[in-house]
Amino acid sequence: MAQEKIGGEFGAGILNKKSLTPENTTYRIISKSVSEYHFIVPFDLPDAERVEVGQIFSVKDYDQSSSRKLTFLARVLDVQHGSNYDGNWDTTIKGTQFFDRDQIFNRVIAEPLGCVRDGSFRKSRTIPTKFSPVSRAEQEEFQFLRQVMGDIEIGYLRNGSRLVEEIPVALHSDSMDHHMGVFATTGMGKSNFMKVFAASCMRLAARGKSKFGLLIVDPHGEYILGEGRKGTKGLVHLSRYSSSLACYSTDYKNCQMPQVEEFSISFSEIKPEDVALLYNWSPPQMDALEAISRTFDSDNWLDEIQDGEGLARMVREGFKESTIQVLVRRIKNLLEKNAYIKKRSSLPNILANLQNGNVVLVDIPRMSDRAELFLLSVLSRYVLEEYKKEASDGRKNCLITIEEAQRVLGQGSNTSRFESIAREGRKFGVGLCAITQQPKLIEKQLLSQFNTLVVMGLGDRNDRLQLEESAKQDLKSLDIEIQTLEKGEAVISTLGIPFPVPVSVHKYEHYLEHLKAEKAPEESLTSGPGFKPFLE
Amino acid sequence: MKIVHLADSHLGFSGYNRLDEHGRNRMEERVYEGFDLAVEKIISLRPDAVVHAGDVFHHVRPKIRPLVVFQRGLQRLTDAGIPVIIISGNHDAPKSFSSSSPFLLFEGMKDVHIAQRYAYERFDLDDHAFHCIPFCLEPDEYLQEFGKIERSGRDVLVMHGLVESLRNKRLRTVGEHELKDSLLKRDFDYIALGHFHGQARVAENAWYSGSVEYFNFGEAGDQKGLLSVDLEDGEALSVEVRPKNMIDHPPVDCSGLSTEAIAEVLMELCDPQAVRDKLIRITLRNVSRAAFRRIDQVKLSRLGAEAIYLKVRPEFDDEKEERMERPADRFSLQQEFVDYLSQESREGRIAEAIRKEVAGYGSAVLEKAVAAKNTEVLDAPQ
Ligand SMILES: Nc1ncnc2c1ncn2[C@@H]1O[C@H](COP(=O)(O)OP(=O)(O)OP(=O)(O)O)[C@@H](O)[C@H]1O
Ligand SMILES: [Mg+2]
Repeated sequence: MAQEKIGGEFGAGILNKKSLTPENTTYRIISKSVSEYHFIVPFDLPDAERVEVGQIFSVKDYDQSSSRKLTFLARVLDVQHGSNYDGNWDTTIKGTQFFDRDQIFNRVIAEPLGCVRDGSFRKSRTIPTKFSPVSRAEQEEFQFLRQVMGDIEIGYLRNGSRLVEEIPVALHSDSMDHHMGVFATTGMGKSNFMKVFAASCMRLAARGKSKFGLLIVDPHGEYILGEGRKGTKGLVHLSRYSSSLACYSTDYKNCQMPQVEEFSISFSEIKPEDVALLYNWSPPQMDALEAISRTFDSDNWLDEIQDGEGLARMVREGFKESTIQVLVRRIKNLLEKNAYIKKRSSLPNILANLQNGNVVLVDIPRMSDRAELFLLSVLSRYVLEEYKKEASDGRKNCLITIEEAQRVLGQGSNTSRFESIAREGRKFGVGLCAITQQPKLIEKQLLSQFNTLVVMGLGDRNDRLQLEESAKQDLKSLDIEIQTLEKGEAVISTLGIPFPVPVSVHKYEHYLEHLKAEKAPEESLTSGPGFKPFLE
Repeated sequence: MKIVHLADSHLGFSGYNRLDEHGRNRMEERVYEGFDLAVEKIISLRPDAVVHAGDVFHHVRPKIRPLVVFQRGLQRLTDAGIPVIIISGNHDAPKSFSSSSPFLLFEGMKDVHIAQRYAYERFDLDDHAFHCIPFCLEPDEYLQEFGKIERSGRDVLVMHGLVESLRNKRLRTVGEHELKDSLLKRDFDYIALGHFHGQARVAENAWYSGSVEYFNFGEAGDQKGLLSVDLEDGEALSVEVRPKNMIDHPPVDCSGLSTEAIAEVLMELCDPQAVRDKLIRITLRNVSRAAFRRIDQVKLSRLGAEAIYLKVRPEFDDEKEERMERPADRFSLQQEFVDYLSQESREGRIAEAIRKEVAGYGSAVLEKAVAAKNTEVLDAPQ
């Protein structure tokens, strides 16, 4: 690209108005600050050249003292009608025409992504020189964005509504010990995103590079094999990396597959506070359940309450013997309905898989809402408590995925379990991945602890507001873009990538094909840092 | 149908450097004897079939002796009308297609069915289908091979490897493969597992029979023997082959004990009758270094003359850390090495990246070295 001279001829152009062409005056930075660039473009561009929200432009500038090139990258936030007139002069009619077409243009408002200087990309602390030329970002400029990408690939960079296939967007597994949120109105692609994310995690784990275990509890039975009627596929179909996937299911048919283990928990892993989630208990019954958790701490509490000594303790706590007996009977009935409560338990295996950095899928289709919450509660408490213990050598962090997270992380939800993971889990290496259609129901303070936000199409203004107000990176400016996201499109704000990234999430079924065909990395004894055994 | 399940005979295992009057390794002889006893026991139980779930031989290229012992045992079993099903394990399966398996010698013997081709094989005996998954070359092949199973309605599964949920009780060997718990399906009448040397039930219908012998002190707490299994009701009964010969004495607190007092403790524990043909370990806690040094080493070694192995482990009172001093037997040398490296790295003396590489590369080399040492020089190269 030819080095353009900046400024010099511009004054001359103003004087000689007739020779002024749009190339001289448009596509140049005209204002405004470090956090917002404005440039103008012709108001009547042909369709192919129209400027769209989300497109990425580059601003060429150069430092006169060192004559080094500088390239600023910026993304379009909004396009507005503009003119050089005050008031309505631009729309005043002159003869049969509008007043003066020369003075009318579109103003493009763009958000800086960062600046490329000496081949490296970083956040910009300054503004481009006024009137610096602006052009659509090209391949070579996009390449710089590769530098900030991580290791968990989830899609391609999106430039407006076009893809930049050369630039895969990948999250950083280093920042996944923090919480993550995936937000979208129903049908916009949350589950698809999670499958792509899980597939990338499996790939990393199979190469011995995963930094965390991923636990997915799937109440809809859609992750394991996909949904036949929609033609979608599941995690089991990624057979190439099956060694890093552990599947557990309550579904008899799914358990027939060699890689799927029957899901079970043992009674000793259930606590009274889990039972509290299983039924709509009356207030006195809730009191009794709370008293039980205070008074009995063994694995065998349900039996202990029933023997003489245990019953006496509850009576001392101020409960009637009959209340306790009714309660116990009901608990037993409820638990018996869950066929997966057995002597054997899958939890230790699940934990070991997580600690080894694998992906764990717990498939629990057709379960009632309460039963599912109960199970999620037992599972996540077990994981958190085990992670609180001293870390063994090489233990990986873990990320617990919760579908419909507004049920458990909402204001006033009585499921403090999950909130405690949200608040203290990070210290022990346990993060949450909350998936929800209604971020507005999630407590703000919790949201502010989320370090990775995957925002997909959200129709409801309050949902967007909630996210924009609590996000670590500024998402407010992206409101228009978020409103216009289509199925599978996302804006991701995450640690390690210095700006919110527009992404077109891979369709899982396509990504599967890609992963299957991908060439394996050369295995080499001499790779990696440190000791090199075969150097000579 | 009634079957006997055994595994991990490790014929050819030798160790502990004690020779008998003919100059043969006593441990090795004991292993052969144990196998003969097991065969006798099986014949007396009159099962409809025997299943050996892997690691018949300790080496991929066994010497003549273990081959003969095994051949004799097979013959006796089949002569008694008991068919035998065998799968290869991580010890006796060559690690590549190009080398030949010791089991080729026994193929074609009447009533002997051997799965050793790194792939699923099915043998139908009486009204049951025996689905055998021998040692496979890649860990992820087990899922694939398992996928080939077609249920007959009366099914037995035979596999060799460490079941995921037993991982904590690691049996320390190289080249072992992990078997996912998801393979332990409920619809098998019985699942016969090999590799773990203790008797253990790992699912409602899945058992490790354990080995007949005690090979190292990691196994001191294990129950051993055969399992006699009734396939109709899935009941598995433990059958002892020979009395336990491994004694790992609970640590003796020697705080303040003089040389004489320590000697007395040792004499008491090592009564010649009590140590005869045994593998014994005695741990002395808080021993005074000076007092221990004055114990006559010659007499001490004479104490254990009747034993196959006697190890006295002093933990001195001046040692800040209690460091376990395990006998560095060849069987677990690379594991010792890997453990040592992790400890060094935990304590910051070796960088993590280096630990990983040294552990990976080093233990492969050690394994080779150990295997080379264990391979008879007289064996013709394959
Ligand atoms: N990135 C994408 N590219 C192409 N198609 C997609 C993409 N993401 C999702 N889809 C398709 O859209 C449909 C709905 O997606 P998905 O099930 O992931 O939505 P969801 O947000 O999880 O919905 P729900 O709220 O019902 O759980 C699926 O058929 C899926 O294949
Ligand atoms: Mg979904």
